[in-house]
Amino acid sequence: MKEQPHRLKWHILFVITIFALAAAVYSASQTINYNWQWHRVLPYIVDTSPVDIIAQGDGSASINNSSLTITYDNGEPDRVISNADTLLVSDGDIIFEGDLLARQESVRMGVLIEGLLTTLEISVISLFFSLFIGLVAALMRISNNPFSKNLSLLYVEVIRGTPLLVQIFIVYFFLGTVFDLERFTAGIVALSVFTGAYVAEILRSGIQSISPGQMEAARSLGMTYPKAMMYVILPQAFKRTLPPMASQLINLIKDSSLVSVISITDLTKAGREVVSGSFATFEVWFTVAALYLLLTSTLSWAIQRIEKRLANNG
Amino acid sequence: MVNTYKGHDMVVTANVDKIYPNNCHALKKVTTNIKRGEVVVIIGPSGSGKSTFLRTLNQLETITDGDIIVDGVNMYDDRTNINKLRENVGMVFQSFNLFPHLTVKENVMLAPLKVSKLPKSEVDAEAQTLLKRVGLAEKMDVYPAQLSGGQQQRVAIARALAMKPDMMLFDEPTSALDPEMVGEVLDVMKSLAAEGMTMIVVTHEMGFANEVADRVLFMEDGSLLVDDIPENIFGTVANHPRLQKFLSNIL
Repeated sequence: MKEQPHRLKWHILFVITIFALAAAVYSASQTINYNWQWHRVLPYIVDTSPVDIIAQGDGSASINNSSLTITYDNGEPDRVISNADTLLVSDGDIIFEGDLLARQESVRMGVLIEGLLTTLEISVISLFFSLFIGLVAALMRISNNPFSKNLSLLYVEVIRGTPLLVQIFIVYFFLGTVFDLERFTAGIVALSVFTGAYVAEILRSGIQSISPGQMEAARSLGMTYPKAMMYVILPQAFKRTLPPMASQLINLIKDSSLVSVISITDLTKAGREVVSGSFATFEVWFTVAALYLLLTSTLSWAIQRIEKRLANNG
Repeated sequence: MVNTYKGHDMVVTANVDKIYPNNCHALKKVTTNIKRGEVVVIIGPSGSGKSTFLRTLNQLETITDGDIIVDGVNMYDDRTNINKLRENVGMVFQSFNLFPHLTVKENVMLAPLKVSKLPKSEVDAEAQTLLKRVGLAEKMDVYPAQLSGGQQQRVAIARALAMKPDMMLFDEPTSALDPEMVGEVLDVMKSLAAEGMTMIVVTHEMGFANEVADRVLFMEDGSLLVDDIPENIFGTVANHPRLQKFLSNIL
């Protein structure tokens, strides 16, 4: 308990430092006369702009108890608009195709949130594929068969030795053209194959860190090699590799920003679009960073939970 | 050849040779046979090949030349299923090798569940019986890390017994234990021997060898030099100069 006041001092120093950094950022932006306009970012997070309802053909309007009915001239079934907030036509008006009929208030996800969800989707799908690819490659790497061993070695070396950006281009322009892949699929393939190589190395070192006696004990009980792997070696290896695995999977989320180069509207591309629409460059990029941080810290929290749950045994 | 020994000997080895890739000659023409129900203790200085020999009997080590027939099955016959053979041969290791991610009871239950595919209720009951037998009924649900060395080794014995083997191999089962825990493990082994289990034990516990063994094998430098009953080994006149030297060094 004696150390308590001492520690408190350091906590206070920490808070002061953070405030000082924030102040430094603010004053730096003052020197270049930057005008912070955080409110401009808001519509791109929660979109509250009303939705326009447009006529799809020529016809006439009739209003009954604030419910608008359009009778089309070409015999198509009537269109009834009952939930509009503002009607922009009057009873008996003649309507032409493309006319603005009504406005409806709405609350939708902004572009940035849609981008966030795309990033989340790409990351989650790639995460599962990369774990699968990594596991297969790790098992091939530790096998005695020179074929699978060399194949896995080649895969890991080639993937680790080339930049992800180049790999994305190759998958999209070459494989994508040959196999007619959608850009979303191409992005997931590139990310999974890239992360899989790192996962393979992490898992391999994890498996090799388990004492050989564990495999011997399992085999001496009559277990086949696959069974011994599944029930004895891998559960221990997974637990041991959780910390490096966490940082690799966090890298996966961050690396997913590179798929924006093949025009997938992920969080980064959404950020670029919003910047060109709002001119609030600084605010948007800070927001994008915060949203990435939200994803990565959630993942890191989840993995820490798993680690704690597994911590009860050796 | 394959069925010649069925019904007689548990293990027959003939001219077993083992040469490691680095040209270390670990086993030299080891020939012996072990009868059903026999307790055989292998002694010898470290590096004599006694552990290597033991580990060839369930093929944790492969051999370079010779024949090993376990329970009438030639181990190096192409038709032999080594996993089936191992189910019938329990092994206890110097460093226990319990599975740290499983509780004591789960350690004992794993192989019967996943290898023999027996129903869980039956396996559970059997595991409880085995753990009671080695005196660890109250430690059923703890993890191995929370047990002492002696307790861990007793769990390892129970785990091997769960597959209902016909033979048990012990590879220096007490060498990693604190002295005060050696007794509890040897007691379990003695009771096993009394029940008629075929046992091959590599150990430095000469008291155990003298008391429990039907036969003692003395190995040195990869060769089986002496194969005799304990009375002749530990008696006043050890009739082999190298054995005499070994015994005088450790006793």
